[in-house]
Amino acid sequence: MTAQAIAPEIVPWNSTRESLRAGWVLGVRELRTSIRTPAYLVPNLVVPIFFFFMMVGALEEFAVGFGIDNWKAFQLPVAIMFAAQGGSAGLNMVADIESGYLDKLLVTPASRISILLGAMAADLMRVTAQATIVLLVGAAVGVHFETGIAGALVLIVLSGLFGLSYSGFGFAMALKTGNAQSTQTVQFLFLPLLFLSTLFAPREALAGWLSTAATFNPLTYLLAGMRSLSMSGWDASDLGGAFLAVAILGTASISLALLAFRGRVR
Amino acid sequence: MTTTTRSRGTVPRAMTENENAIDVRGLRREFPGGVVAVDEIDLNVREGEVFGILGPNGAGKTTTVRMLTTLLKPTAGRATIGGFDLERDQRAIRRHIGVALQEAGLDPIATGREILEVQAQLFGIGMTEAKRRASELLELVSLSDAADRRVETYSGGMKRRLDLASALVHRPRVLFLDEPTEGLDPASRQTLWREVERLNAELGVTVVLTTHYLEEADHLADRLAIVDQGRIVSEGTPVALKAEIGGSVVTVEVEPTRREQSRDALGRLDGLREVRADATGLTLFVEDGSTFVPNVIRALDAAAIPVGAISVAQPSLDEVFLRATGSRLEGAEAESGQSDTEAAA
Repeated sequence: MTAQAIAPEIVPWNSTRESLRAGWVLGVRELRTSIRTPAYLVPNLVVPIFFFFMMVGALEEFAVGFGIDNWKAFQLPVAIMFAAQGGSAGLNMVADIESGYLDKLLVTPASRISILLGAMAADLMRVTAQATIVLLVGAAVGVHFETGIAGALVLIVLSGLFGLSYSGFGFAMALKTGNAQSTQTVQFLFLPLLFLSTLFAPREALAGWLSTAATFNPLTYLLAGMRSLSMSGWDASDLGGAFLAVAILGTASISLALLAFRGRVR
Repeated sequence: MTTTTRSRGTVPRAMTENENAIDVRGLRREFPGGVVAVDEIDLNVREGEVFGILGPNGAGKTTTVRMLTTLLKPTAGRATIGGFDLERDQRAIRRHIGVALQEAGLDPIATGREILEVQAQLFGIGMTEAKRRASELLELVSLSDAADRRVETYSGGMKRRLDLASALVHRPRVLFLDEPTEGLDPASRQTLWREVERLNAELGVTVVLTTHYLEEADHLADRLAIVDQGRIVSEGTPVALKAEIGGSVVTVEVEPTRREQSRDALGRLDGLREVRADATGLTLFVEDGSTFVPNVIRALDAAAIPVGAISVAQPSLDEVFLRATGSRLEGAEAESGQSDTEAAA
C-alpha cells in the first residue's frame, strides 16, 4: 500500500440497501461453510429417510386399521418436515461466537438483523435442499402426489419456511447461551414435539391427552396442510392452517432470536 | 456508491481540526454480581498518536476496548470517537474505527482472502473494490502466498496479521488493537510492531492498543495510560513517566523472612527516596545508583543479612507500575496477580 492519505470514507449510508446486501454476503458465506463441511448434512438426510422407511415398513399394516389407505403419502410429509428442521439450527452461530468471528461482524456497520437473517437465509436454502432430496426419495419409492408437481413445490416451500421458523429457536438459544449443548436441545425437542402431533394417525383418531396436545401443537396443522397436498388434493383451509402455523412459529422464534441478539451487547 | 441518502442521523459530521480522536469521560462498566471492571475512567487520545493502555490481566483493558468499539454497553459515562457519540452514533463509529480483538476472531473454514472480501463488503464496499483491497492488504501483511488457504491452516502469527488486515479493509481513522501480540513468538511480535508503526507513520492512523507487555508499551506508545483494577493510575509519555521516577532503581534480592529487617536496615540510608517490597526482594528508588550500592552492601553486611543479588538500572515502566500500584507487572501472571500487600504501606 502506498502512503496515500486515508480518506475518511464516510459516505451516506442507505440502511435498507446495505442491510439487504449484508444479508446476502453473509448468506453466501454461510452456504460456503456448509458446502465445505458436508459431514453436517449427512445425518440430516439419513435420519429422516431411515425414519420414513421404518414407519412405512413396520406400520403399514396398522395403518389400514386406521382407515389410511395411502400410508406412504401419509408418512412422507413427516420425513420431509424432519429433514427441514435439520438446518444448522444455530450451531453455526455458536461456532462464530466461540471463534470470535461474530464480534468481527458486529464491529461492521451491518445491522444486527441482517447478520441474523443472513445466517438464517442460508439455513433456508440448506433445509429446502434437504427436503427436496427426501421428497425425491419418496417419489422414487412410488409415493403418489394428489396435487402433482405444483403440490410438491408448495410442499417444499412450506417445509423450507418451517425449517427457517424452527431454526429461529436454535439461533435464539445460540445467541442467548453461546453454548453448543444448550443449542442442541432445540433439535432434540423436535422429536417429542413430533410425537405429540399427528405423527401416527389423523387427528380424529387421537384420543385423550394426546388429542389435546395435538390440538395445541403447530406441527399438527403443518402436517395437515402437507398431507392434504400428498393425499387429498388442494384444500384451502388445510393449507391456510399450515402457513398460519408456520407464520406464528416463525414470528415467535425470530423475535426471540433478535431479543437474544440485543442481549449480547448489553 | 451513491451520494443520496434517506437514512436518519447517520450522515456523519466531519471532525474538526483540533478535536481529539477519542474523548472518554467517566466511563464505567459494572457486570452482574457487582464486579466493576472499569471504574470511571477519563482519557483522551489525540489524532495520529499511538496510545497504549498498559496493565495486568483483569485490569479492565479489554472491557474498555469492547465499550469503545460498541460491543459492550457502558454502565455510565460518555465517549466520543472521531467526534461521534458512543451512545447515539454507533454505526458512524463502526465505520470510523477498525478493530482487532484479543482472540483473532476469524472463520476457520474460510480462506484469508474470503474473510477480507466479506469484511470489506459489510462496510459497503463493492465487490470489485473489495477484491482489490483484499489483495492489497494480503500483500501488506505478507500473506499473499497463503491467501487462498483456509484460515484453520494458519499459524498464530498469520492469524493475527490477517486479523489486522481485516481491521483495515475500510481504511479506518482509528485502530483498536487488543493485546495484539499476545501469544506470539518474538519474531512475529517484531513483524506486527513494524506494521503498527508503519500504519501510524505512513497512513496517519490513530492507534489504541492494550497490552500487558512493558516492552511493547514502551516501544510503540506515544502516550500511555497505566491501568490497574479498572482505574487509570498513571498517564503520560513513556519517557515522562519514567522521568517522574528519576534517579536509579536498585533491586536487592533477600530471603522473604529477612525482608522487613532489610527494609529497616536500608531505610536510613542517604539518597533513598522510596522502598517497595515484592515477591523477590526490595526495590529501592534512589537518587544515584552508583554511590548508593556500596552503602547497601555495607548496611546489609552490618545487619548480617545474606544478599542474593543486587542490580542497578534506569527506571523502566515496570517501576512506574510498581510505584503507582504497589506491585510489579512483570511476572504478575506467574503469581496470578498476588501482590505483596505490605508493599503498599
